[in-house]
Amino acid sequence: MSSHASHSVSNSASVNVSSVTDAASILAANKLEVLIERFISQLKRRQVTGSYNVAIATCKFLMRVTSISRWNTAQEFITLLRLIGKKITDAQPREFSIGNIVRRVLALVRDEVNVKIPSTVATSNESNTIAPVNTSMFQLLVTTGKEKENNNNNNTSTTTSTSTHSSKSDLRSIIIQGIRDLMDEVQSVHENIELMTVDLIHDNEILLTPTPGSSTVLNFLLKASLKRKFTVLITENYPNDIEVCHGFAKKLANANIESVIIPDSTVFAVMSRVGKVLIGARSVFANGGCVTAAGVATVCECAKEHRTPVFAVAGLYKFSPGYPFDRNSLIEFGNSGKVLPYDDCDLVGKCEVTNPLYDYVVPEHIDIYITNIGGFSPNFIYRIVLDNYNTEDVDLS
Amino acid sequence: MSDKPVDKVEKPVEKQPTGAAAVLDEKKLSNKELKELKKREKAAKRAAAKAAGGAEGDNSTTPTANAPSSVTPAHLKENASRENNKNKDKGHKTVSHIKKELNNAKIHNPNLRTPSMFGHLETKEERISSTAKIASIVHPSILSLTLKISTYKIVGSSSRCKEMMRAFIDVINSYKTPEGISLQRHLTGHLSHQIEYLKTGRPLSISMGNAIRWLKQKISIIPINTTEEDCKKILTEEIEQFIMEKIEVADKVIIEYAQTHIHNNSKILTYGHSNVLSELFEFCAVEQNKKFEIYIIDSKPLFEGKKLAKKLSKYDNIKLHYNLINSLSSVLEKSNIDFCFLGAHSMLSNGRLYSRVGSALVAMSSRNKSIPVLVCCESLKFSDKVQLDSVTLNELGDSDDLINTKPFNKKGFNLQQYITKLEEREAKENEKNNKGNNGKNKNNSNNNNNNNNTKNNATNNANRLNDENDLSNWKQYPSLNILNVLYDLTPPEYIQKIITEFGALPPSSVPVILREYKSTT
Repeated sequence: MSSHASHSVSNSASVNVSSVTDAASILAANKLEVLIERFISQLKRRQVTGSYNVAIATCKFLMRVTSISRWNTAQEFITLLRLIGKKITDAQPREFSIGNIVRRVLALVRDEVNVKIPSTVATSNESNTIAPVNTSMFQLLVTTGKEKENNNNNNTSTTTSTSTHSSKSDLRSIIIQGIRDLMDEVQSVHENIELMTVDLIHDNEILLTPTPGSSTVLNFLLKASLKRKFTVLITENYPNDIEVCHGFAKKLANANIESVIIPDSTVFAVMSRVGKVLIGARSVFANGGCVTAAGVATVCECAKEHRTPVFAVAGLYKFSPGYPFDRNSLIEFGNSGKVLPYDDCDLVGKCEVTNPLYDYVVPEHIDIYITNIGGFSPNFIYRIVLDNYNTEDVDLS
Repeated sequence: MSDKPVDKVEKPVEKQPTGAAAVLDEKKLSNKELKELKKREKAAKRAAAKAAGGAEGDNSTTPTANAPSSVTPAHLKENASRENNKNKDKGHKTVSHIKKELNNAKIHNPNLRTPSMFGHLETKEERISSTAKIASIVHPSILSLTLKISTYKIVGSSSRCKEMMRAFIDVINSYKTPEGISLQRHLTGHLSHQIEYLKTGRPLSISMGNAIRWLKQKISIIPINTTEEDCKKILTEEIEQFIMEKIEVADKVIIEYAQTHIHNNSKILTYGHSNVLSELFEFCAVEQNKKFEIYIIDSKPLFEGKKLAKKLSKYDNIKLHYNLINSLSSVLEKSNIDFCFLGAHSMLSNGRLYSRVGSALVAMSSRNKSIPVLVCCESLKFSDKVQLDSVTLNELGDSDDLINTKPFNKKGFNLQQYITKLEEREAKENEKNNKGNNGKNKNNSNNNNNNNNTKNNATNNANRLNDENDLSNWKQYPSLNILNVLYDLTPPEYIQKIITEFGALPPSSVPVILREYKSTT
């Protein structure tokens, strides 16, 4: 399945090569550079961090792009979006939600185009009416990506010449509305996830969360505390999240939830008493694995050893269509001075010190993903990804 | 306990002969009477001990060696007994009295809060060491050792045990047997008080318990007719030999076995700090000139791995990597580690390793990456206890050690109190100064260089309290707890082999060593 995905991707890429040059000219003509540069530098300076904030910022950014950019055909807009998407994902390659939001918007545009074309030229091509069925397996049988791409191009060039002016403003407002809906969805992620709390926690349960940095987990627990009484064990995630952990514990304590802070090393000792492990994901991949705070992989491994269920909570915007083939490219390294402070001057320079910020958790160690659209087993995630993204946009370059 | 009913049964039987043959045979009578008296005394002793130390629980380790002289009055009139006790105070103290004094000096921290699951765990109770009463009971070297242990200046099962035995040498050398009692009978009681005090720093380690048991046995088997000087000499030599044999030479033998696993270019994973392991690595680097890499995994709050790193940073042959436990998965993923070496606090007889908290995680991850896990452990640390999880038996550390977001230096209780007092006084003075200044010159506060700093400090403190992530006031939250357990239990499945001075063996063979070991001493 993935082989086909990559096939179609390479096709679309080859198609796009020709349009890259005019995309650059589009970019120049649109005077978008200032906007893009500003957003890129914001990302690079880490003025926007955390997948939620980044997702919202990307939505806003794309909304502005949509409203001020100039293009004639939908295809042109798609090329433009892909180009911008590539630029901003490269600015911060480990903030996966940037790419996810761009892909969501792209899928939105493509859906719009695909729906519209058959309606305007219903009889022009039979295959186009079937194309929106978004299973790659099905596409394999029906039509090749190249043909379809050509058809699209033909259609847009022939049909839109007559009706572009009326449909362009339409399309623009539809897309802006779509992005607005997307933003609403991102913002309401917590509420939708919270609806599931009651089904997942029983009374007097002991939960363990190794990701105190996750606001989704925090909201989940706060919501759950209204209906259930439980104890939460919070790992410190020293050295990167220690302050956040204290803040997290404080908020839980303020909500009268029994909370216990434990050092990262104590996880094994208490795991036999833990009913469920609750982790917040930074991003989820199509294979069901996820990237989260450093140390969580060991906690999940330990939970598996003890047969303790592991729940991962994540909003839909964290689902990436990619596959984590290269573990190292996913993980960012932070300030090693936090691990070995410069006070220990006799050691600095003699030891090799690393401070990974993230960890990759394999799908086998996670039992269920809880998202704003329901709970899923990790091996079903690829379907969710397929539903929300277009296979052509998996690779933005 | 079982003596009592026997006593009652025998009484009526004995009373008849005492009445009938009282005049006939004095010797027989006296013998029987003596027996009876002894039995009565014993029963009385028990009753008295119960009455005196009901709360303390019975201590089988203190067989009340000097009790007969003081507790016989139990079946006499009570008033007389009290007078008797008072009199005895002037001479040497009774066991129960010393115990009471030790108990009175205990400081039970009212703020001590433990998570509900862990309320049963042992923790330390600190005492004011400066009171004259305590100082008259507890030997100075024990006092200083307790302080060092409680502030984690001395950590690690074997070094704690070694230091304790050395302190016992001091205790024995400055010990003087009270009149009328032999050293063999009194010294164990005296040591018990020292141990009782030592426990308040931190609960005893398994190795310490084993060593104490050994020492008490050694004391009891000294021939009764040896002079005090000879006794001390014998004991000092025995203890020194014990340290040599059970720890130092044992370590050398273990190193000899373990070094075969470290080759040139090996990559070794280890957790925290262990005496044997640091000696092993030094041996391989210096004596054998092997070049290898060590990945040290460390964790809060003790950061013992730094100690190991400091020891090994001298050697160019060893390439050091230092990581915290949260990067364990990254370390295992990226580097091809050959062996995982772990130290031990104790080996339990069901094959589980009881060691610094976090060892189990390291062992688990290593096993899952098919890296052999080797444990180096002296047989002194073997225990006949059986345990299945880390929650039922563990040691609780100080919760306050964990709220620091940065590495810190643990201070003793008295020092900490002194510092807080100083800080309070300083804060008060600051307040006064600030008030005065504000009254004098409200407008030009910037010009006041002298007090600017202190003001800033005050505002900083206020900021810290308002900061949403600061937890220095965590005790104000009734539902918030901080758990700091010191050990965890590694299941035998994770351990490939245990290297002891008797050779290498699988975890399932721990009870075998326990038997062998017991038969050798």
